[in-house]
Amino acid sequence: MAEFINKLFGSGNSEKTSNASSLAAYRTKRVISSVLISIFRYALLISVSYVVLYPLFYMISNSVKDLIDWSDPNVFWIPKHFTGLWYDWAMGALDFFNALKNTVLFELVAAFLEILSCSLVAYGLARFKFRGKSILMFMLILTILVPDQMIIIPKMMNFANLDLFGIIGLINKISGAGIRINILNTGFVFYLPSIFAVGLRSGIIIYIYMQFYKGLPRELEEAAWIDGAGLFKTYTKIALPSSGVVITTVSIFSIIWHWNDYYLAIMYMNDAEAMPLAVRLSNIQAVMTTLHNVWGGAKLTATQCAACILFIAPMLIMYIILQRKFVKSIDRVGITG
Amino acid sequence: MAKKDKISKPKKSIHARGIEALKERYGWICVAPWVFGLIIFFIIPIFQSFIFTFCKVTLVTGALNTKFVGLENLKYIFTVDQYFPDNLAAGVGTFAYSFPIILVLSLILALMLNQKFKGRVFFRAIYFLPVIIASGVILGTIIGDTSSVSNVSGTTDEAVSANMINVTELVEWTGLPEKIGEYFNDAITKIMNLVWKCGVQIILFIAGMQSIPDLYYEVSKVEGATAWEEFWFITFPSLSRVITLVTVFTMVELMTSQTDKVIKQAYNLISSQMFGESSAILWVYFCIIGAILGVILFAFNHFCAKKWE
Repeated sequence: MAEFINKLFGSGNSEKTSNASSLAAYRTKRVISSVLISIFRYALLISVSYVVLYPLFYMISNSVKDLIDWSDPNVFWIPKHFTGLWYDWAMGALDFFNALKNTVLFELVAAFLEILSCSLVAYGLARFKFRGKSILMFMLILTILVPDQMIIIPKMMNFANLDLFGIIGLINKISGAGIRINILNTGFVFYLPSIFAVGLRSGIIIYIYMQFYKGLPRELEEAAWIDGAGLFKTYTKIALPSSGVVITTVSIFSIIWHWNDYYLAIMYMNDAEAMPLAVRLSNIQAVMTTLHNVWGGAKLTATQCAACILFIAPMLIMYIILQRKFVKSIDRVGITG
Repeated sequence: MAKKDKISKPKKSIHARGIEALKERYGWICVAPWVFGLIIFFIIPIFQSFIFTFCKVTLVTGALNTKFVGLENLKYIFTVDQYFPDNLAAGVGTFAYSFPIILVLSLILALMLNQKFKGRVFFRAIYFLPVIIASGVILGTIIGDTSSVSNVSGTTDEAVSANMINVTELVEWTGLPEKIGEYFNDAITKIMNLVWKCGVQIILFIAGMQSIPDLYYEVSKVEGATAWEEFWFITFPSLSRVITLVTVFTMVELMTSQTDKVIKQAYNLISSQMFGESSAILWVYFCIIGAILGVILFAFNHFCAKKWE
């Protein structure tokens, strides 16, 4: 029996003592403590899981609940009357397909670019020693530290009047032409920083990549260099193919952060046509007031919940598909420093 | 070009010098686009934002007009603006209790999820979910305070989590005064809100723990160390870098969260085109948070990390 319990909940220590038959008392003590520990562990994990999943249950339950059930005190989680009305309203209020297109086109492409560019930068920082590297490492910490809100006003202004190193200003001065490049409300506000690896939370992504590349054995690359492979060959043929693990982790982070990004989008995208889902979702109350003359109460909450479900559904599906890979990849990314 | 270097240089000095020089060049090639991006999208905007703090900034069609006004903006936010001092106090206050709780909570959860037990993968998958289902926008929407951005002085109504577990009734049942029930309810609600912010931190901690060599634990087992000692003498010191990273990340996450009042106010000022005042608010706020961060990191490195090295 003790053996069985041992196997069921087995932690490393109890196995060791199992063949020492003379220590029966010690063994039972060990077994009892390990059982207690696992009961405690499951109790804690399950109760915290409830807290973690609560918003999801809340949103799902409220988004399919009919208006009659809202005033019924017997209904708590599972509604008696189902309705799809809230989803209809939410679709309309979000302008769902247009907003979804914007999110995919702007945010996800930016996430993809960021994943690529950060990898190269991190590779350079992790693999090579060069002058000025310590300054760059300091800058990396600074990019993690300084939030986007702090630099958003100048950035917005610079995007509204894009002028790299004053080249366009110079042309304008010489030729007198009033050329002005405004990239607000286009995808480039997200693409440009992402290409140069200074996009949304790029600092932390570079950091994770860097830790991984530091742990990757150098021998293969050294051999490739000696065989005459250049930088890009070693990078694309050796470093990238072996970094599948870290790419999984980083992609999930980057995609979810971009999907949920709201502050940058609300600043850059003031045109209703170009708004991504997150901005739409945050404006839903005002939209509901004009569309359905709903000011608050159950109708608004239900529609908001439905909209939230619509908003997270793609991410949730992606996560459920990639979840196994993601959880396994965490074990092997290896963040130490 | 690079190839030529590679072939010719090793002849001069046996491999080492040539490869080192080459590596330096490779390093710069890798990093060059990032450095360019840093200058354009990071360093210049920081300076601009700093200058805005001391300027009266007005919007003229397509461009900004800046006029130096000295400390006028700072004076405005501290004396004329009726909300800022309160918001600042609230922001720093929230931060003071959230930060340690998040750090400890995510470390405990990561420790539990790092052990071997049945359903580990399942629980790990669940514990990352808040990053998706309790993100800023969602909480901002369903927490009830939808007009969060336009509402400066409003209190955040934590309606969603208030229903989660009702401790008030439990306390009433035991016969203790009502105030204690309210207090407990408040505390638990707040802790639950914080659990939702632990997702990324747990992942980072687990990743850090996985990279500690098993050898250490085997040795400690042979030496007869208890789990408690194992944690304090192996896990915790090995995690010092990860803890630093998580500290920085949590800090930034907390102060830029949508429910943060100072950020909301700064956003409102931007909407009403008071760019200078907004910059001043953000700089003051981030200087304070940065100072706290500096103290925490210094203390951590000084008293904790060095001890076991």
